[in-house]
Amino acid sequence: MIKVYSTPTCPYCVTLKKFLKEKGFEFEDIDVSADQTELQEMIDKSGQMGVPVINIDGQIIVGFNREKIVELLNIKE
Amino acid sequence: MIIIGAGPAGLSAAIYGVRKKLKTLVLCQHLGGQAAEAHAVENYPGIPGISGAELSEKITAHAKKLGAEIKEGITIKRIAPTGDIFEIQADKDTFQGRAIILATGKKYRQLEIPGAAEFESKGISYCTTCDAPLFSGKTVAVIGAGDAGQDAAWQLTKYAAKIYLLNKYAELRGAHAQLHEHLSDNEKVEICANSEPVEIKGGKFVKGLVYKCGDDTKEIAVDGIFVEIGAVPASELARDLVKFNKKDEIVIDPKTNMTSRTGIFAAGDVTDTPQKQMIVAAGEGAKAALGAAEYLKSLQNTDQY
Repeated sequence: MIKVYSTPTCPYCVTLKKFLKEKGFEFEDIDVSADQTELQEMIDKSGQMGVPVINIDGQIIVGFNREKIVELLNIKE
Repeated sequence: MIIIGAGPAGLSAAIYGVRKKLKTLVLCQHLGGQAAEAHAVENYPGIPGISGAELSEKITAHAKKLGAEIKEGITIKRIAPTGDIFEIQADKDTFQGRAIILATGKKYRQLEIPGAAEFESKGISYCTTCDAPLFSGKTVAVIGAGDAGQDAAWQLTKYAAKIYLLNKYAELRGAHAQLHEHLSDNEKVEICANSEPVEIKGGKFVKGLVYKCGDDTKEIAVDGIFVEIGAVPASELARDLVKFNKKDEIVIDPKTNMTSRTGIFAAGDVTDTPQKQMIVAAGEGAKAALGAAEYLKSLQNTDQY
């Protein structure tokens, strides 16, 4: 299960989602600027307010931390 | 050639390097660099209006189409010269090249007042483009009223209910006179002249900002603080290798983009080129690549980086 919290104008969010798509991963794409409940969920789960936040099977990563995401998703590069 | 940085300077250098049929490698942390965060770019010749992110994507796509090798998520620890080869030590890998182009740009000047470190990402943002939409209906402050601060305040008028714009000067300065008017006339914006931030307060997240206005100290309740107090060159990697000017920018020969050390070139905002603009960075990247190409030719060793 992959869930990405992002805003439409954030460039790192765009590159993160592009990266996931390129590697063939499906994910729930949440625009937190349009949904206060989801925004609050993101803040509660990550303890902070920056985007993007990615939830991979319960593991929270803040920002496009390529190395950690590659590790968690077992991507061979 | 090994290019460090993938903003407009680095990617433009990559395009020119690849087209010169030279082995070209780009090492970067994030594709697009600072330019990708620009809300609106209206002065890139040929493109009347585009977001920084989209323009960066186009340049990236161009470099990739030509076959530039790009490695992302790379943090470089050290550049060590050995003879006429440079060894670039990253977290996990080491790269070697005879010509290096430093195109690392700038990074945000951090706020250094009590609370600034504590509340980073907890209500303090350095990327208005990224985070403005998160503050719909909220009260925010923008610290810094130069061009970037004014633009941030302007972006925020689309979302926030109230925006305090802290200006250390008496009047709004900068390139966009029309924007000064828009901001002064906008009901949501309160410009605090002669003001400097003193402390950021809060619990789990930002709740308030204390600032000095002339001789008075004031406190405002805010949900978010956007910092736009300028940027500093990201030049530490080259600290012991090349000559810097007083602003910590890398000094380059304007004709070849070579630094004070043979084999190391630089381009874009990290250099002493005074104009920090995307189109200038792209032009400088091209020059640096051509300079590096000439240099490599003189070594007659074009089958290595």
